[in-house]
Amino acid sequence: MSSSDVTTSPQETGAGHTDAVRLDSVVHRYGRGGETFTAVGPVDLTVPAGEFLVLVGASGCGKSTLLRLVAGFERPAHGSVRVHGAEPRPGATAGVVFQTPRLFPWRTVRGNIDLALRYAGVERARRPEKRRELLDRVGLAGVEGRRVWEISGGQQQRVAIARALAAENPLLLLDEPFAALDALTRERLQEDVRQVTARTGRTTVFVTHSADEAVFLGSRIIVLTRSPGTVALDLPIPLPRDGVDAEELRNSAEFAELRARVSHAVKTAAA
Amino acid sequence: MSTTPPLSKPSPTGPHADVPPAPSFRVRRLWARTRPVLLPSASLLVFLLLWQLLAASGTWSETLVPPPAKVWDAFADVSTMHDGVRGYNGTYLVEHLGISLRRIGIGAGLGIAAGVVFGLLMGTVGWLRALFEPWITFLRTLPPLAYFSLLVIWLGINEEPKITLLAVAAFPPVAVSTTTAVAAVPRSLTEAARALGASRWNVITDVVVPSALPETLTGVRLAVGVAYSSLVAAELVNGLPGIGGMVKDAANYNNTPVVLVGIITIGVSGLIIDGLLLRLERAVVPWRGRA
Repeated sequence: MSSSDVTTSPQETGAGHTDAVRLDSVVHRYGRGGETFTAVGPVDLTVPAGEFLVLVGASGCGKSTLLRLVAGFERPAHGSVRVHGAEPRPGATAGVVFQTPRLFPWRTVRGNIDLALRYAGVERARRPEKRRELLDRVGLAGVEGRRVWEISGGQQQRVAIARALAAENPLLLLDEPFAALDALTRERLQEDVRQVTARTGRTTVFVTHSADEAVFLGSRIIVLTRSPGTVALDLPIPLPRDGVDAEELRNSAEFAELRARVSHAVKTAAA
Repeated sequence: MSTTPPLSKPSPTGPHADVPPAPSFRVRRLWARTRPVLLPSASLLVFLLLWQLLAASGTWSETLVPPPAKVWDAFADVSTMHDGVRGYNGTYLVEHLGISLRRIGIGAGLGIAAGVVFGLLMGTVGWLRALFEPWITFLRTLPPLAYFSLLVIWLGINEEPKITLLAVAAFPPVAVSTTTAVAAVPRSLTEAARALGASRWNVITDVVVPSALPETLTGVRLAVGVAYSSLVAAELVNGLPGIGGMVKDAANYNNTPVVLVGIITIGVSGLIIDGLLLRLERAVVPWRGRA
């Protein structure tokens, strides 16, 4: 079923020449009949494979809606959304990390990861090994047997990321995943996400309202205007992505300049 | 008032001295630990005392309000062999209770199973809910006695109408609570499962069912309670042996002590069963109220 063809599509994992995501004059409206509200659009956007795209904008600008369209949870009113050339389907096209961890409280940390591995078609015997690998990748150890409410918010979000990576989808979507965390945890998770994606070469679309987070994580930044969201700024981030000290990067002049630029664009776009 | 007190006088019982807790503290802790047992026992004692006083005052005849001792004797009589008679009507009290519990087990079990199935269907399929909900509400508002006569006409006077009555009584609470819980499954969790590649069926078994389980178990406790309170009604006709039948039969002969023994037995066993169900609930759904 849907879970089996998830695993058998690693052809575009690496940075190829194909577009991972392609949006053609996409418009999305909420509501029906006379009471509709245009949340997004029109938006044209292509995300090449291997890119780390960050969508930035003030709250309510439709950036989460855009992500939901790419995940396949919503269908556009106009235009088309294509992920690796096909219509997106939840569970088949992308791993998704939400704003809150959305873990299943009736399962332990182990149970949550194993469920994701089961849906991804990983056979039972190989799950413990894969599970440890995933937890290792998100920097979690020794919490496998814990109930999800027994671990901290940051650890919960790490489990959610591990879970989203289970299917080995070439595309990873994150919707303000660190918004509810304290500053220290947030910075550490940002560094880890930057590493994980740099190492696996996954295409990533990350939604945030923080210019700082956008510049630190993204290889390209899209600033959206106020609702209905359209592209206000499309900015490549030429910062080094591998083998660089996070602290050094955050304190560099280039970083500060880019952050100021994005921050300014967000404020202008929201006005 | 003439001299100032010395500034520092090291006290042997300073804050860092290793002294046992003050007696008042120990008493308080003892009280906290024994309170759950002490308070109910005390209230029981007061109740027995009032009962004894009331019975001894002679306001009502002994047939209406027998003293505690009389009821205790009746309890001993129905639990043992006495004057060549075995318990009550040839059956010991525990056997009466056991037969009734078996009826409740089968009847409420069937009702609960049907309630879970209907709840899952009604909670997931909108038009099924619209179709069945009025009927279940109708059924829920009926007192069991109202449909018992009908069940006797249809099913005779043996086990069938009794078990059916208990099943019908136990069905609505489970159906209603499961329906509500299934309909209220957080979309955030079903969406998260779908994002991981869950099929529709996976979502039902891995998210909807466990998410609804705490509410369903509350419904089960309610259902067992309703079945218990319908027991005497279920055993109104041809209920012997059976604890409800015993109460009904003893009432026919104005045998108040045995009626009271039956009522107390039903009440106490009901309390024990509810306690067991509560423990089961805590063991099965430890995440209740956590997410």
